[in-house]
Amino acid sequence: MTFILKYKQLNEERDIPHENYTIKDLLKELELSAQTMVSKQNGELVIEDTVIQDGDEIQLVQIIYGG
Amino acid sequence: MQCSKCGNPKVIYKREQSGQILCKDCFIESIEKKAIKTVKKEKLLDKGDKVLVALSGGKDSVTTLEVLNSFRERNIIDICAVTVDEGIANYRQEGVDIAIRHAQRLGIEHKVVSLKDEYGITLDEIMQRENHKGSCTYCGVFRRTIINKAAREMGATKIATGHNLDDEVQGIIMNYLEGNTDNLTKLGAKSESQAEEFTVKIKPLREIPEREIGLYVVAKDLEVHFDSCPYAMQSFRGEVSELINQLTEKHPTIKYSTLRGYDKIKNILKDELKKDYAHGRCSRCGEPASNELCKACSFLEELGL
Ligand code: SF4
Ligand SMILES: [Zn+2]
Ligand SMILES: [Zn+2]
Repeated sequence: MTFILKYKQLNEERDIPHENYTIKDLLKELELSAQTMVSKQNGELVIEDTVIQDGDEIQLVQIIYGG
Repeated sequence: MQCSKCGNPKVIYKREQSGQILCKDCFIESIEKKAIKTVKKEKLLDKGDKVLVALSGGKDSVTTLEVLNSFRERNIIDICAVTVDEGIANYRQEGVDIAIRHAQRLGIEHKVVSLKDEYGITLDEIMQRENHKGSCTYCGVFRRTIINKAAREMGATKIATGHNLDDEVQGIIMNYLEGNTDNLTKLGAKSESQAEEFTVKIKPLREIPEREIGLYVVAKDLEVHFDSCPYAMQSFRGEVSELINQLTEKHPTIKYSTLRGYDKIKNILKDELKKDYAHGRCSRCGEPASNELCKACSFLEELGL
């Protein structure tokens, strides 16, 4: 069970570590603040409670920057 | 899970402060409605206004343009835009290009003014100087001067900036913590014009959280420049912002209540602390100034320009 993560230059295949693995869990793992990001699942905006499915493409977009 | 407004199961946002869950269309509509409500409530626009949008190409200014354009489409106002190119390598150009594309898309009058053309120096060059005062000090003062001047040259009756709820609340708390009562009275949806030469400034997005503006531009597929300035560093504003965001996690309504509270006491503060504004002129450039030189010119003199 894997998904594709796209974030900035990153474009990699990652394992889904457990059942009901959400985007929120992924953000925590990457130490990214949910407050500064929005997420897309297969090209569509979704909330962070969304469970990542096998074969998903998850794209993270940072929307808040300093300065 | 489904949209609290229309029942669409494809939801994109959960508003922590209200528990509301929204689909893309209802979210976009809620942002535009909120900004329009601020415009009406605070009487930010008058029919026939020519509004100059300070357009950096970032999410806040592009959203401001988008919202104000709905008033333009209804022939209530006219819009023009100015983009300031501070001369920051590997950062500013993309924003400038995006700003140009938005102006072309909407067919509005737009000009790009660079620090180099205006003052003969870029921000990068200023930062090479010894004992400079910090990038953001120059950046803010020169940008403001250029925007004020552009407003007069383009015949604008208002200047719209992209200040959002987070910016406003940071300003309130920061000035309060610093005891800067003078600046504290200057916040708000609409600036009072102190000198006739200063065009009134308006902030249509001041009740919208920064994160919602970021989501709005992504949801609406608006091209914006997402990047951080190479000079952005740990500032007091940054620390205050972090603190407020930490508090917001457990107390999701705190930004709104801070703004509401401030709006209630603002007029009292203004009346109590009102200062006579100097009606002097800068001896070098003729801009309104409280001292011999305006801030921009005093920096230029220090830089030997
Ligand atoms: S962070 Fe960069 S763009 Fe913002 S005020 Fe400072 S120097 Fe200017
Ligand atoms: Zn809906
Ligand atoms: Zn001057």
